[in-house]
Amino acid sequence: MIKKRCLLIAIVIIAILLFSGCSHDMDKSKKSVINQLNLQGNMELKYARNFNVDYYRGGYSLISISDGSKYLVVPEDQDIPTDIDEDITVLKQPINNIYLVATSAMCLFDALDSLDAISLSGTKAEDWYIENARTAMESSNIIYAGKYNIPDYELIMSNNCNLAIESTMINHTPEVKDKLKELGIPVLIDQSSYESHPLGRTEWIKLYGLLTGKESEAKQLFDEQSNYIDKLKGQEKTDKTVAFFYISSSGNAIARKSGDYVTRMIELAGGNYIFDHLGNPESATSTVTLEMEEFYATAKNADFIIYNSTIDGELSSIEELVGKNSLLKDFKAVQNNNVWCTSKNMFQETTQFGLMISDIGRMLTDDDRNLTELNFMYKLPSVDEEKPNERK
Amino acid sequence: MNTKYFFNTKKLTVGYNGKPLIKDIEINLKKGQILTLIGPNGSGKSTILKSITKHLKSICGTIYIDNKSIENMSNKDMAQKVAVVLTDRLKTELMTCKDVVATGRYPYTGMLGILSKEDNIQVRNAMELVNAWELRNRDFTEISDGQRQRILLARAICQNPEIIVLDEPTSFLDIHYELELLNILRTLAEERGITVIMSLHELDMAQKVSDLVMCVKGEYITHIGTPKEIFQKELISKLYDLSNGSYNPLFGSFEMERPKGVPMVFVIAGDGTGIAEYRTLQKKRIPFVTGILHKNDIDYQLAQDLASEVFFEKSFEPISEETFQSTLKRMQSCPIVINCLETYGELNIKNKALYEMALRQGKKNLESAAML
Amino acid sequence: MKENNDKNYIRYIITLTVLIILFAVLILLNIKLGSVDVSVKDIIDILFHRRGNETNYNILWKVRLPRIMASIILGGALALSGFLLQTFFNNPIAGPYVLGISSGSKMMVALVMITILSRYHSVSSASLIAAAFAGAILSMGFVLIISRRVQSVSMLIVCGVMIGYICSAITDIMITFADDANIVNLHNWSLGSFSGTSWRDVGVMASVVLPTSLIVFLMSKPIGAYQLGEGYAKNMGVNIKLFRIMLVLLSSFLCACVTAFAGPISFVGIAVPHLVKSFLRTSKPLIATPLCFLGGSVFCLGCDLIARTLFAPVELSVSTVSSIFGVPIVIYIMLRKRVQ
Repeated sequence: MIKKRCLLIAIVIIAILLFSGCSHDMDKSKKSVINQLNLQGNMELKYARNFNVDYYRGGYSLISISDGSKYLVVPEDQDIPTDIDEDITVLKQPINNIYLVATSAMCLFDALDSLDAISLSGTKAEDWYIENARTAMESSNIIYAGKYNIPDYELIMSNNCNLAIESTMINHTPEVKDKLKELGIPVLIDQSSYESHPLGRTEWIKLYGLLTGKESEAKQLFDEQSNYIDKLKGQEKTDKTVAFFYISSSGNAIARKSGDYVTRMIELAGGNYIFDHLGNPESATSTVTLEMEEFYATAKNADFIIYNSTIDGELSSIEELVGKNSLLKDFKAVQNNNVWCTSKNMFQETTQFGLMISDIGRMLTDDDRNLTELNFMYKLPSVDEEKPNERK
Repeated sequence: MNTKYFFNTKKLTVGYNGKPLIKDIEINLKKGQILTLIGPNGSGKSTILKSITKHLKSICGTIYIDNKSIENMSNKDMAQKVAVVLTDRLKTELMTCKDVVATGRYPYTGMLGILSKEDNIQVRNAMELVNAWELRNRDFTEISDGQRQRILLARAICQNPEIIVLDEPTSFLDIHYELELLNILRTLAEERGITVIMSLHELDMAQKVSDLVMCVKGEYITHIGTPKEIFQKELISKLYDLSNGSYNPLFGSFEMERPKGVPMVFVIAGDGTGIAEYRTLQKKRIPFVTGILHKNDIDYQLAQDLASEVFFEKSFEPISEETFQSTLKRMQSCPIVINCLETYGELNIKNKALYEMALRQGKKNLESAAML
Repeated sequence: MKENNDKNYIRYIITLTVLIILFAVLILLNIKLGSVDVSVKDIIDILFHRRGNETNYNILWKVRLPRIMASIILGGALALSGFLLQTFFNNPIAGPYVLGISSGSKMMVALVMITILSRYHSVSSASLIAAAFAGAILSMGFVLIISRRVQSVSMLIVCGVMIGYICSAITDIMITFADDANIVNLHNWSLGSFSGTSWRDVGVMASVVLPTSLIVFLMSKPIGAYQLGEGYAKNMGVNIKLFRIMLVLLSSFLCACVTAFAGPISFVGIAVPHLVKSFLRTSKPLIATPLCFLGGSVFCLGCDLIARTLFAPVELSVSTVSSIFGVPIVIYIMLRKRVQ
C-alpha cells in the first residue's frame, strides 16, 4: 500500500538523520598541530585519563578533553594565534566570569580559592554543601542562572560569561550546548565523573588550576591527597569484603559498578568490593540496580557495609536499615555490627578523596570497638537493647 | 434501455461486510414519483437506502439514475443528484439554521465554500418552502424536533437534487409536523419533479403519500406496487407477522386481537354507533355477536375484526326476513344485549323489532359495555 | 437578514481586531521584558538600525526574537490542530494530543537518548528533534492504519488513547533499564518549553507549520461539510476516506512539529479554539481557522512571557502556565454551554 511505503521511507530517512547526529570520536589526547606555536611539553597526570594538556612556548596550553573538544588557553598578555583549527575553542585569560554547572568542580575551585572566577551557577544557594559557595551566592557574588537545561541566557550574556563548565547531564539537552555556543560562550564539559580512579577525579583540579592561573596550588593540593594513597600502598591488602549500596524507593539495591571510582577507593584502602564483575564496563552508567533477593544472595557475606546516604538521606540506626528490607537482617555485616554510613558531604569534596580512602582503610583495619566516627563516615548504632551497646 | 424510468435498479443485492441481506432488488421509478419502503424493524430498509446514496457499497447489481450507473458517478455528481435526510441526531456547534441549510449548496460553491448571491437565494427559497425562514438565525440545537426535520429537508432541497432519500423522516415528529413534512414531499414531487425514496413506519401515511410501495422482509422483496395493491389485509398481516391483531385496509389501521370464547353479549348497532362499544368489549376481552349491519356501514368494518360473529345485510337493501330470523335465533343464546341505536331508518327498521324481542326475552339490557 | 449578516461581520472584525492588538502588544512586551533590562531606545536601534551594545544585540536577536517566533508559529499550530480534531471528533475536549502523539514522540526520544547516549556520550539536538518528529508520525501512522478498518470516527480516539498507553509502556520499560540520569531528563522532556530556540529551528518550524496551516485553510469547505457529521458530508460530495486521512495527517504534522521543537504543551489546543469560537459565535472554518491560529499565537506569547519572567532566573514550563490559564477557561466555557 502506498501509504505504508511512504511511512517506511519516512522512518528510514529519519533513522539516517539520527545516526548522523551520533557523536564524534572518543579521541583522548591527540597531539594537534598548531602552526605558529612550538610544543614544549605535557602536563604530568598521575591518575586522570579524561583530559590532557600540551604546553606551548609563550605560555599557551592546549587542553584536550576525552569527548573530543579542544581548548587553547591564551595567556592574558599574549595574542590569539590567527591560524587555528576550527575545532579548537579559544579561552583567553583571565577567565573570570565562569558559569559553573558541574557541581563536582565547585569543590575544586573552592580548594583553589578561586570562587571569584565564578559569576553564575546552575545550582541554588541553599543546595550547596560547600560553605563558601553558599555564602558567595547569598551575597550575590555568584548569581543563580537557572536550571542547567533551561538556563537564563540573558543573564548569562549580560554577565559577559566567558566560559561555561557543564556536567555530563548537558548531553541530554544538546540544544542548550548549541545555544550557548551560538551566543559565543565556550562550553567545557567536565568529564571527571568518568574517571575510574578516585584520585583521577581529584586531579582535575590541575585543569581548573591552569584555567585560573593557579597551577602550582593545584599541584600541591593534589600531591597531598596522592600521598595518602602512597602511604596505603605500603600496607598489605586485607581480605575483608565491603558492600557499598543504598536501597531505592522501589525496594531495589543500587550498587556501584565494579571498577567505578568508589569501588576503586575501597580497593585502594585495602579492602575488596564484594562484587567482582558487576555491571557492564562499556556503559556510561556507574550504578547497577539489583533486586533485593539477588543482592542478598551475593552480598550477604560482606564483612562491612557502607550505606550510601547521599541519595536517600542519612540513617540513624541499624534497625532503620533493616527496616528498609528485612533480608538485611541476615547480612553478616549487620549481625556483626559492622555497618557504616556515609556522611552527606562524602562525595561533594573531591579534594579529599585521599582522606576518604584512608577513612575506609581505618574502618577495615582498626579493631577498636569504640571507633564509630571517621571524617566521612560513621558507624550505625543499634538501638536494640539485646545487642551489645556500641555507642560511644 | 429504460427511457421512461428515471431511477431503477437491476438485480441489486445489498448487505454489510459482503454478507447479502436482501437480494435481487428491482425498482423502477419514474421522475417525480414517491417510493416508500415499509417492513418490520431490521428488515433492511436502511440498508437499501444507504446503498442508494452510496453510503454503503452494494454487493452486486447496479443502480441507475437517468440511465447512468451510480458506480461511475463522482462524489460531486452524486451530490448534485441525490440529497439525503437522515435519522441521526445532529450535534452541531454554533451553527444557525441558515448555516445548516446553506451547507446544501456545497456541491455548487467554489473552493472555499463561499456562498454566492444565487446560492443565498436558493437557500431562502428552500427555507420558505418548508416554512422555516423565520428560524434562520436560531441556533440549530435550540429548535424543536419538528422544526429540525424541516430544516434538514430544506437543506436537502437547496442541494437541488433529482432524488431525495429520507430514512424514517417522521420518527420523532408529532402528527402536525408529520403531515406537514409529507405534504411538502408531495409538493416537491408534483411541482418540481423530484423523485422521493423513503422508509416509513406509519403505514397510514405511507398509504396516503406514496405512488409506489415496497415491502421489505426476508431475503427478497416480497412485493412492490401501488398502495392499492399493497395495502391488503392478507399482505400486510403477513408482512408484519400479525398474529395478535389485524389490519384493516379501509381504515388503513390496525386492530387488536379479537376476544376469544363463547359470546354472551349481543350488540345491536349501525351508523357508526357500535364502534365505541366494540372497542370497549375488546378491551375487556369480552366476545360478542353483533348485527344487523349493512355491508356499507362503518360498524361492519370494525365488526369483521372484533366480533365473534357478524350478521349483515347487503348494502342499500332493507333487512330481509331471512336475515332477521337467523339473527334472532342466534341472539337467543346471548343473555346480554346492548342497543346502540337511538333512531331507525327505513332500511334497518327490523333492528327495532330485534331489540323489542330481546327485551321480551328478558335479556339483561345494558346501556353500554362499560357497565360490564 | 442583512442586518444579521452585518452583525456577524462586525463580530468577526472586532474579534480579529482584538486579537491583532493583543498580538502586537504581546510581541512588544516579549521584546522588552526579560532578565536583562534593555531600554526602548536601544531596542529600536538594535532592531531597526542593526547596531548597539553587542550583548544586548545578541540578547534581542539570538535569545528573545527566535523565542517570540517560536511562540507564534507553534502556538498557532497547536490551536489549529486542536480545532481540527474537535471538529472531526465532534468532541469539545479533543485536543492535539488525543491521538497519542506526545507518547510516541517521548518514546522515540527515550529510545535515542538511552541507546545513543549510553554508547557515545553525546547526541546532537537535531537528532532529538528528528526522533520526536519521527515518534509522532509513527503513532499517527498506526492510528491511520487502524482507521482504515474502523467504521466510526469515535473509535479513532480510542485508538489514539491505546497507542498512547502502549508507547508509554514501552518508554517505561526502556527507562527501567536505563540509569538514573536519563530518567530525570525524560521527565524534563515532558514539560514543554520555548527556551533555546534558534533561528535555524524557526526556519524548520515555519517551513512545516505555515504550508500545513495554509492547506487547512484551503480545506475549509470539506471541514464545514464535516460539521454536520460524516453521513451528510458524504452526501455533499466529500470523499470521507481521503478526508479522514488528510485530517489526521494535517493535525499530526502540526502537533508533531510543536512536540519536536518545544515538547508537549498542554491546553492550548483545547482552550484556544473554544475561546475563539465563542467570541466569533460561529464555527465556520473559513473564519475560525485563521483566527484560531492567531489566537493560539497570542495565547502562547502570553504564556511564554509569564513562564520566563515571573520567577526569573527560574523558568517555569510554558506547559504549566498554559494549563493554569487553560483549565479555568475550558471549565467556564463548558459550564456556559450547559446552562444554555
